[in-house]
Formats: sequence, C-alpha cells, structure tokens
Amino acid sequence: MKKRYLYLLLLPGVLFLTIFMIVPIFLTIGTTFFNESGFTIQGYLDFFKDRYFIEILLTTLRVSLFTTIICILLGFPAAYYISKLGKRTKAIMLLFTIFPLLTSPVVRSFSWMVIIGKNGVINKLLLSMGLIDKPLDILYTPTAIIIGLVHLFLPLIIVTLVGVMENIETDLLKAAESLGASRLAVFSKVIIPLSVPGLVIGSILVFVGSFTAYTTPALLGGKQRVISTFLYQNAITLNEWQVASIVATIMIAVTVLIISIMNGLAKKLNPKG
Amino acid sequence: MQEKNRGLALFTFLVFLFLLGPLLIISVTSFEGGNILKFPPEEFSLRWYENIFNVEMFLISFKTSILVSLAGNLLALLLGVPAAYALSRFDFKGKTIINAFFVSPILVPGIVLGFAFLRYIVGTYQLPIYAALFVGHTVIMLPFIIRVISSSLSNFDFSIEEAAESLGASKVGTFFTVVLPNIKSGILAAVMIAFLESFNNVDISVYMTGPGVSTFPIQMLTYVENYFDPTISAISVLLMIITAFFMFIVERLMGLSYFTKR
Amino acid sequence: MALFTLQDISVAYNKQNILKDFNLEIEKGKLVSLLGPSGCGKTTTLRLIAGFLQANEGKFLFKDKDYTKVPVNKRNFGFVFQNYALFPHLSIFDNIAFGLRLRKISKSEIEKRVMNVLEIVNLKGFEKRYPQELSGGQKQRVAIARALVIEPDILLFDEPLSNLDANLRVNMRVEIRRIQQELGITTVYVSHDQEECFSISDQVAIMNKGVIEQLSDPASIYKYPETKFVADFIGFKNFIDFDKRVDHEDKIELSKSGYVFVIQKDAQMINLSGKIGAIRPDDLLIRAKDISEVVSENSISGRVKVSTYLGRSFQYVVETPIGDFTVNKEMTESYRAGQEIVLEIPRNQMVLVD
Repeated sequence: MKKRYLYLLLLPGVLFLTIFMIVPIFLTIGTTFFNESGFTIQGYLDFFKDRYFIEILLTTLRVSLFTTIICILLGFPAAYYISKLGKRTKAIMLLFTIFPLLTSPVVRSFSWMVIIGKNGVINKLLLSMGLIDKPLDILYTPTAIIIGLVHLFLPLIIVTLVGVMENIETDLLKAAESLGASRLAVFSKVIIPLSVPGLVIGSILVFVGSFTAYTTPALLGGKQRVISTFLYQNAITLNEWQVASIVATIMIAVTVLIISIMNGLAKKLNPKG
Repeated sequence: MQEKNRGLALFTFLVFLFLLGPLLIISVTSFEGGNILKFPPEEFSLRWYENIFNVEMFLISFKTSILVSLAGNLLALLLGVPAAYALSRFDFKGKTIINAFFVSPILVPGIVLGFAFLRYIVGTYQLPIYAALFVGHTVIMLPFIIRVISSSLSNFDFSIEEAAESLGASKVGTFFTVVLPNIKSGILAAVMIAFLESFNNVDISVYMTGPGVSTFPIQMLTYVENYFDPTISAISVLLMIITAFFMFIVERLMGLSYFTKR
Repeated sequence: MALFTLQDISVAYNKQNILKDFNLEIEKGKLVSLLGPSGCGKTTTLRLIAGFLQANEGKFLFKDKDYTKVPVNKRNFGFVFQNYALFPHLSIFDNIAFGLRLRKISKSEIEKRVMNVLEIVNLKGFEKRYPQELSGGQKQRVAIARALVIEPDILLFDEPLSNLDANLRVNMRVEIRRIQQELGITTVYVSHDQEECFSISDQVAIMNKGVIEQLSDPASIYKYPETKFVADFIGFKNFIDFDKRVDHEDKIELSKSGYVFVIQKDAQMINLSGKIGAIRPDDLLIRAKDISEVVSENSISGRVKVSTYLGRSFQYVVETPIGDFTVNKEMTESYRAGQEIVLEIPRNQMVLVD
C-alpha cells in the first residue's frame, strides 16, 4: 500500500526527466562513439589533434582557473567579515550579495561592456587623468571574460562561505585564543580549515560555472571563443551536430572530472569534515 | 585588533563596490538623453524607456518568456510537489539516488542541456519551438521547485498528518487540508525562485529560436549585438526592480537560509 | 598569598551592570567555585579572568602584576568550555597538541606531553580518533587534557558538566577534583549545581546580582550561611524576622510578637548582628497537639494548611501566629490539613543571617 503510493508520487517526475533530459543527454553522448561502421573514438582523436580546439579548451580552463582564484581571494575575506556582523547588518549585506545573483546575466555582462569598452567608464577616467594616451583594449579579451565571470560568481562563493562560517562556533575561536593563538593563528589554524567544505563547494560552483558559462563570454569575449561559445557556434551557425555533440561530451566529462578531483582534495584536507 | 577589522571592512566595501557599482552605472545610463550610451549621461530623459515599447520584438518575446515561465512553473509544480513530498515523508531504498536524480538538471552544463534539447526534443521528438521551450524550462525549474519545497517540508511535523487521519481525513484530503496550507509559503518561494531562474535563462533558450520566436533575454542579446544604445540599460533597470521585488518576497517567505545553505 | 586578585571590577552591558565593585582573591593551588542562579555574574567573572572580556573599571592582578590588559592568548590560562569546543577538523592528538605547537615546542616533547596528559585523563589509545567519534564524557576529558597540557597557571571551567547525563556528571566531577589535586593547579569552577560545587571545591563563592554574598569552605556555607540569600539558596526555606535579639554568654534570645526562641551560641558562628532566623524544613520538629498541652520553650502551635506526599516523607505547610513554615517529616505518622500541631525549633538548628 505504502509502496504503491510512493511510486505514484515519484513516477510522473521521474518519467518526465527521463524522457526529456536523461535520454537526450545520453543520446548526445552515445552518438559520439559510433559511426557507420560501429564503435569508434575517432571523433575524439581528431579533436585532440586539432590545435584550434586545444587552444579554446586551454583558454577556457585558464579563464576558469583565474576566475576561481580571484573569487576565493576576494570572497573569503569579505565572507569572513560578513559572517562576523550583527544579525541585521549581516542580513542586509546578504541581500546585497544575493541581488546580483538573481539579476539577469545579460544585464550583468552588459554592464561591463559599458565600463570596460573602448569609450567606457574606465578608459574615459584613465584618459582624463592622463595615465594613458590611447584607450585600453580590455573588452573582447580573455581578461574581459574573467572580469565578467568574477562578477557573475563572486556572490555565489561569498554566500556559500558565509553559510559555512556562520556555523563555526565562537567558542572554538575562544578556545584557540585561550591556548595561546594570536588572531592570525586563529584565522589560519581554525577558521580556514573549518571553511574548507565551503571553499570546496564554492570553488566547484565557480570553476564549473565559469567553464560552462555562455552569456558572459558571448557578450564580453568578442571573437575570443571559449568552449561554450564554440559548442553553440557548431550547433547553430555551422550546423555541425556531430562536432557539437563531441564538445558537449567533453564539457560533461571535464565537469565530472573537476567535481571528483575537488571532492577528493576536500577529503584529503579535511578527513572528518 | 581594531585596525585589522577596519582594513577588512574597507576590503569588503570595495568588493561590494565591484559587485553593485556596475549595476548602478547602467541604471544611471538608462536616463541618457542623447543617442549614444555613455557615463555619466549628458542630459536627462526617459526616451529609452519609451523605446522599449517601440521595439515590437521586445513586447512579443516578453510575452513568450512570461508564458513559458508560468506554464513551465505550473507543470514543474505538478511534478515536483508530489516528488518533494514523497522524498521528505518516506524513507525508502534508493532515496539519495532519486534525490540526486531530481537535482541533476542543475549539474548538467546549461549550454550542453540546451544543445541536447535542440537535437532531440526539437529534432528527434519533432516538438514545435514553443513546446520545446516549455518542456526545457520545466526541466530546469524542477530542481529548484523540489529543493525549496523539500527544505520547507523538512520543518514539517508529519505527526500532524496522522492526527488529521485519526480525525477521519483521507490521505489525499489530509494532504490538501493539512500539508499544503503549512508549506504554502515554501511553494510560493519555490515558484518565485524558479520563475527568476527560467525568465533569466539564456543557455537553453538560445537554441530555441525561430522566425518571430525567442525569449526576452535572447532578444536582449540580439539587440546588444546590433545596437549599442541605452535601451538595454532601461530594460536592465526594469528587470532589476522586478528582481528586487521577488527577492524581497522570497526573503519574507523563508529568510535567507536557502541561499547560504549548500 | 593570593595568586590572583580582582580589584574593584565593574562590567556593564547596554548600560546594565553585570559586576559592580567586584573583589575576589584566590590562593595558589585552590579550587574555588562560583555558584549562583543564572544572571548572577559568575560566567562574566570567569570570562573576565580568562581575558575574553574587558572590565570597564578595576584591575586584574596576577602574581602582583597588572594583567588587566593582557590579551587572552598571552595569559596562559586553560579554559574548559561547556560545549567542549573541540576542533572538529583535528584528531584528539592534534587537538591537545594545538597549544603546544603554538609555543614552538619540539616534536618529541609534544609527543611526550600529549601522551602523558592522555594518561592523566584516562584516554590512552584515543589519540588518532576525531571529536565526532567520542562520547560526551570523553570529549570533556579531551577538553580538560587540552587545557592542562599547556601547563596553565590557572584552570577555568565554565559549567563543564552540564551537557552530561546525571551518572557521568558524578564520575567526571570526582575525576576533575582528582586531577586538580594531583597537579595542584589553581582552578576556578563555574556551575549552577550546588551539589557539584560543594563536592569538589576548597572554597565556594555564592554570587547574587554581581556580588559575592559569601565565600568560604563548603561545610561552613552549608551550616552557617551569612545572608538570607545564601540561606535561601542552599535550602533554608523558613525565615523568621525577629523584633529583638539579646546576646548572652552561651546563648542568644530572640523574640517575635512575644514568642521567644533561644539558640545555642557556638564558636564557629560567624554572624554577630543578624536578626533573621533561618531553619531548614528537615530540621523543624512537628507533633500533634494535645488539647491540654501548654506550649514549652522554642515551640509554637499552629495548624496544617497543606499536606503533600513526597514519597519518602510528607511536606507540610504550617500556619502559625508568626508566619507560615515548611516542614518535612518522615512517614512514621501523618497529619491532615486543618489539624492542630506544635512546631519546635531545636536550640542548635537555627542560624541567624543578615
């Protein structure tokens, strides 16, 4: 009786997702391993011989790595500061963090076009101060993509870290102090290790998010392709569905790989976290 | 000790300047009176707000987006509420797997998911663009619906259900008279979060365009590629107002813990 | 000589005084408990000694040096927390070694000292485990070991046993006392549990509203409370506010509304001026009144108002011309509500308080 009830509740959702997501995804992956003559990995071999594609893959990984590092460096201290605030101020700061997170990525990337463009705010400011004599080319470079992605994902890592840091008992910090730890030692020996779970989840979110983001590189990258814009280009502009499927599979593989590496790292750093 | 905190406060202030400054700057540029987008604007006008309504595709795509998000939301609720209830109420073998299954659409890169939809839902299944948009958006909203409602159900005391049954209510009756009213605010919050997620989506909608059909964000992208005027700034301001309103309501309904928990 | 002294300390939160002109001296090697109801300032006092909070006024002297402004991490005092506060990311060994590593002690020395302290708290063999794998009592032992291993000048306990169940509490307090005496370490212990404090302390300070009402050894407090608050706190339920006190050589004569009571003077009696008599419910004698009886010395007649069955005994509330009394009486005989009875206060059972 209970069993039947349970299946009845779960079945519609499971069926829907299976038909409209799982099957399309697995078919996408599956077709890349077959051609007219049967099983093959020739498509992948060709791919990894292609300098142009390798270039794009490496650029994307590099951009994602820089974005993640910058997000941690900016987000960790800010999150620590917010987690120490009083209840009301903390809530307000969190709202300010969440707001950009909920705002359209088109709006957020567009705002950077206004700022770092040739006639943008930054160039005008630097020109008027006489620090440069011709406008800097920031927009439509990997740097522009990194700036846009940091802006996109920084709130995510802050919010994740605040959630973890809030749960660090203040008595632990006091205990460390009473055992002779300076403020710096409390930070490096207690707060940082206990924030590792948040740092790992946050880094995964940022890295994977940056690796697969489309809107930001599409708007800020110009001719600079990253893997997601390359996928889109092959699927829509070039109509190369086989190539697109291979790119899609590689993206899924890299995503899974990154998540498992980070999780392994987390286990090593924090055996009983 | 005080010194260090002041340094940290300044650092945090700069981080937030980085986060919110750009949004402030485009808001200001939306009031530009001239033809070119620049900061600071030279004269004040509301003409770019008017211009939004002169671009027909904005109006059409806005309607499309609203329709797709609302209809998708409704279907995601019909599928998600029973599932979230089953996952919170019962213990059974494979529960963690089912749970992971329902949040998996978040884990698949959106741009990949969109391509798979294009290739198989539009291609193989031969669904028309509108239907494909509706199905695709339902898929991406489902995890949010299930997550938010599950967290709302995790605070629910299921012995109340037994109380209702002991008083003569049927199982289905119990759900509608006792469970549903108690997770009302959770459902509303779920709807709003899922709506924002769907309405702002680019990664999937970007594949699903056809003659005269596209969603609002895709229309914005197309516009930016062709014109660099403050129309998009004006739209941004309107979208931010809606976002702020939604965020405020979600905060009222369930606090901020949803966002900080992972 | 005092090891440390709190001098005229005042602490205020939101303009409300928690401690006001507070003074306390503690001698080397003693275990002193701070006992009192919640909000009496005992935890504040402990945190002040630890250095977790700063006094608005007053001085903290340690070995005659001014320690008022010395930060927590430079004090070398061990602190044991109510919720243990073990570092969840560190093994038991690393938890205990935490303070030693900060002191740049050699690896072999750390190893030796951690193993040694694990032996003292009876946790040998647990060094590789993590806090989450330990029971409450074991966690508390680790917390004590972690505080002990730095060879602190003072050991501070903040309600260390309140999260443990009753049996374990008794075992642990014996353990704490054993360790403290073995190492001869000066200890301040905060609790709201009377029995706990009385059983382990050299001295108990009973606190109320930010002031120490009485500081002496447990037996003296139990027998000779000095103030009405202390008497009430340790179970003297009955108080008589006398009109007159006359001191004789070997006895004191007290009267209220014409009723006269006499109490034995004894060498240990401290209070020389108090006029409030206090007596425990267990120490009052109660008997049925004969119709013809003439009430004798130290006795007063009354009537049972409420009779409550407590299991091993009965508790009566008795109405008399000088007020209501609470009396406990073993089960041998019982009295009904409304019955006329006689209450007797034995000569050596009443104390006088301020």
